[in-house]
Amino acid sequence: MSKKVLKGIIFILFVSSFLSLKVISKETSNWENNISPLLSTDWTISKAEHLLGRAGFGGNPEEVLFIYKLGPKKAVEYLVYYENISTSHMPDFNESDIHDPGLVNFPPSRPATTKLAKENGEALGIKVKKSGNRKMQPIVNKFFFWLRASKLETQRVSYWWANRMLNSPRPLEEKMTLFWHNHFANNESKIRDYRKLLLQNKTFRLHATGNFKSLLVATAKDPAMLYFLDAGQNVKGAPNENFAREIMELFTLGVGNYEEKDIREAARAFTGWDTNDLEFIVNKDKHDSNKKTILGHTGNFTGEEVIDILLSHDAAAKFIVEKIYKEFVNEYIDSDIINQYAEILKSNNYELKPLLKAIFLSKDFYSQRNMGSHIKSPVELVISTYKKLGLNNTPGIPDFNQSTAAMGQTLFWPPTVAGWAGGRSWITPALLMERGNFARSFLYPDIDFIGEDFYSPDPKIIIMHNAIKKGADITSATKSSNGGESMMMAESNMMSDRDEDFNTRYASYRGWQMAVSKVKPIPRFAAEINFTKMVIESGAHSTDDAVDYLINRFLTVKIDNDKRKMLIKFLEENLGTDNIKNAESYLEDSLRLVVHLIMSQPEYQLG
Amino acid sequence: MKNYIKRRSLLKTAAAASLSSLFPMKYSLSNDALNGKTLVVLELSGGNDGLNTIVPYGDDNYYKYRPNIGIKEKDLLKIDDYFGFNPGITGLESLYKEGNMAIIHGCGYDNPSFSHFTSMAYMHTAAPNSGEEFGWLGRLADNMAPASYKNFLINVDKTQSLAVRSQKHIPIVFDHPQRFQREGFHEQKPILESVIYNKDERNNNSAQNFLNEIANSAKESSNIISEAWSNYTRQVDYGLAPVDLNKIAALIEANVPARLYYTSFRDNAFDTHVHQPNLHKRLLTYASDAIRGFMHDLDRMGKSEDVVLLVMTEFGRRVPENTSLGTDHGAAGPMFIIGSSVKGGHYGKIPDLVNGLDDGDNLKYTTDFRSVYATIIDQWLQVDSKNILRKNFQTFNIFDRTV
Repeated sequence: MSKKVLKGIIFILFVSSFLSLKVISKETSNWENNISPLLSTDWTISKAEHLLGRAGFGGNPEEVLFIYKLGPKKAVEYLVYYENISTSHMPDFNESDIHDPGLVNFPPSRPATTKLAKENGEALGIKVKKSGNRKMQPIVNKFFFWLRASKLETQRVSYWWANRMLNSPRPLEEKMTLFWHNHFANNESKIRDYRKLLLQNKTFRLHATGNFKSLLVATAKDPAMLYFLDAGQNVKGAPNENFAREIMELFTLGVGNYEEKDIREAARAFTGWDTNDLEFIVNKDKHDSNKKTILGHTGNFTGEEVIDILLSHDAAAKFIVEKIYKEFVNEYIDSDIINQYAEILKSNNYELKPLLKAIFLSKDFYSQRNMGSHIKSPVELVISTYKKLGLNNTPGIPDFNQSTAAMGQTLFWPPTVAGWAGGRSWITPALLMERGNFARSFLYPDIDFIGEDFYSPDPKIIIMHNAIKKGADITSATKSSNGGESMMMAESNMMSDRDEDFNTRYASYRGWQMAVSKVKPIPRFAAEINFTKMVIESGAHSTDDAVDYLINRFLTVKIDNDKRKMLIKFLEENLGTDNIKNAESYLEDSLRLVVHLIMSQPEYQLG
Repeated sequence: MKNYIKRRSLLKTAAAASLSSLFPMKYSLSNDALNGKTLVVLELSGGNDGLNTIVPYGDDNYYKYRPNIGIKEKDLLKIDDYFGFNPGITGLESLYKEGNMAIIHGCGYDNPSFSHFTSMAYMHTAAPNSGEEFGWLGRLADNMAPASYKNFLINVDKTQSLAVRSQKHIPIVFDHPQRFQREGFHEQKPILESVIYNKDERNNNSAQNFLNEIANSAKESSNIISEAWSNYTRQVDYGLAPVDLNKIAALIEANVPARLYYTSFRDNAFDTHVHQPNLHKRLLTYASDAIRGFMHDLDRMGKSEDVVLLVMTEFGRRVPENTSLGTDHGAAGPMFIIGSSVKGGHYGKIPDLVNGLDDGDNLKYTTDFRSVYATIIDQWLQVDSKNILRKNFQTFNIFDRTV
């Protein structure tokens, strides 16, 4: 089959699926909460698109057609049982050379660093100068260097991950890795070590659709998680409850299924769990091996045994299933279907694949209530947009992290340990407008773009940089000037430069320079898209055809016909004709305007 | 140059009139629903340690419970012979000494939750252990203004707080006012700004309707917000982290129609489990600098009599320090109401560090936090708090400066 014919078929399938949706919608309404498998006679291209959108990040028309041709059962199995699909062609993360042994056990704050230096005569692998001005300046410089370098490197990890999400032949593996990042939500600003977050990301990918218990144990022993929830502070005789609380409240059971005393007792079982840089260790002398009573069970439990107890609790399977259902099916749940799926998870000993297969194959998943009901997260929106456009590399302009951050999500920086709330909380008036602005940012890239990886976003640092370049001494170059002249200076501004052994502001500036010199840059190229080719090859003759093609290619939930007519009229006026062929030589800019308008619609947020 | 004093008196006598001239028809409102008073709520997320904020240095038990992280008497900013402020909050100290800061002690509720998210939800809904769907500011907005009154409720944050969730109103939620607008070519504007609900019911869904409602709200508020911000120049020092109070000041100065504002010191910042002292002091300094800056800004624009700030958190922290030089999740803690209309001082029963602890060493509450809300609702906004809080709570005479 020639490519042109194939495209024509795809176009017809898309349009026909759009038209047939209205007919089918009545039949699908009694599919709600029905977990029996979809029949192949009910399989349509829009259902294939729905499956690929939820179990992955969607795809271009060719990819949707591929899934459609498999039929429902094989399509679901293809997406869920992906072990035999090779990902060896996907590059590993290419680390910058920024870490050294002096940075192991990085102190929790700048004051802690200089205190250490005063006590030991060195810190971060750098000695305090014997004499002279600002004896600890190199140490404080290195402190700020690492803060910035780890942050920038973590942003590179995000960019690398974005490319995996875009290109992986195992889309569900990446989708579930993203899901677990939100479930076990750790934040770089506390961990301050990209190496730990990269390791954790690999752990989530390894167990993405594996066994939930194995994942939970691996996560409990994961260096990032251990550090994030203060494992090192949890010792015999003085337990720290942070991890024990979150494993019950956020990771396995949910509020209301345990008592405060269960948390205190469980914390004792996890005492002594710690990290040696990137390795999990148990400090036997800090482990409390005495008797504990947790959720009605009494014994000399270890941490692993506590995990067994938690997962044997009735609430655990329901808790996990509910969270998966909300993310993959609908944020509004019915307890009846949750219970049915929880049984599947339990009877399979917490293996995730049978559950995921059941969900993706169920009539419920394809019911009218659930199709097109999902508000995409910013990461999903960006990746699915690039997939729909057929890109195979995440553009460097706009910056992936800046784009998602503006819309409310930064990978590796979830707002709290509970992760992103998801669903409708993704949308506020400001964030909805940002989503439209994102579309514009790759259609019309900023020609004055400078990435954060070689430019400090803090204007004060630039002022300081210019003053130092012109030979100003460090004290006057770093003087704070904030607020009106007659105003009293705020305390935090007055306090920032009080120690003569070092200048914090200079260290902040110098640390930035050192970081941008060592961290590898993110490649900065803009997206190359040819809408003219796309539309011409679809066989569109009129502006009606062109707009319908773009609507069907990009929108899962359709806009009102009045809006569609506005778009057609807009395109026609912009082209000066309703004949696409006649306008072929100058079609591109007008199509971009229309694509931006389509992607600014509320409906574009849905999948 | 604007004459602030003149403008202020003008506003006071003719608030409704000046609003209706700015926003014809749909913003006009009766005086009953709008007494010209504005409430700003600042949330310190993560569970602020009240005992190390307002330190009861006069009680030896404080130092017994906190041998390592207890703040020494000599370091405190003493306000009387029993309490001293954390040394990082000279901003709040000056507001207190000027008589503009009310400290309401021992705020909490029955059967406290030690989960950040649950306890914060209780604070947001003012309905502990109930599953209430709407926020207390959302219900307040529903009660104070009809749905046709646009932009009554503003939440400066990345995501919407449950506190502002309303039945009738769509709160304006934004983080960066300068970015609060749609970018596009001139000729795209009519379509970018048009909101058309899908009339074909077989082919739409509730998420789609929700998105269209938000799009409508965005359309109606974006110009107001971005203009207010571009007309605002920061002329006072808010410190290193203005906690978004400068953004609220910009909107207040621009006379946007909002009367209820909500913002937070974000991301569970005050969750100080380990190495608390330096970190907590720094966080408090940021908050305190920002609050003092905000109050000075209100003075500058002649609006300090029209705005009060409520400072709250989801819970206090456990009374005894933990072994990591930090504190774990606790229960009761102080709340603050700050403003020129406030009669400063202590309110509520001061918790007893001997008999006032529960089995888990947490402070038992002495003031239902809804008493603080009720005080603001009844006395400041002059709305019957029973309609918002479902029952009557004791109130304090915080806004009566004549007594």
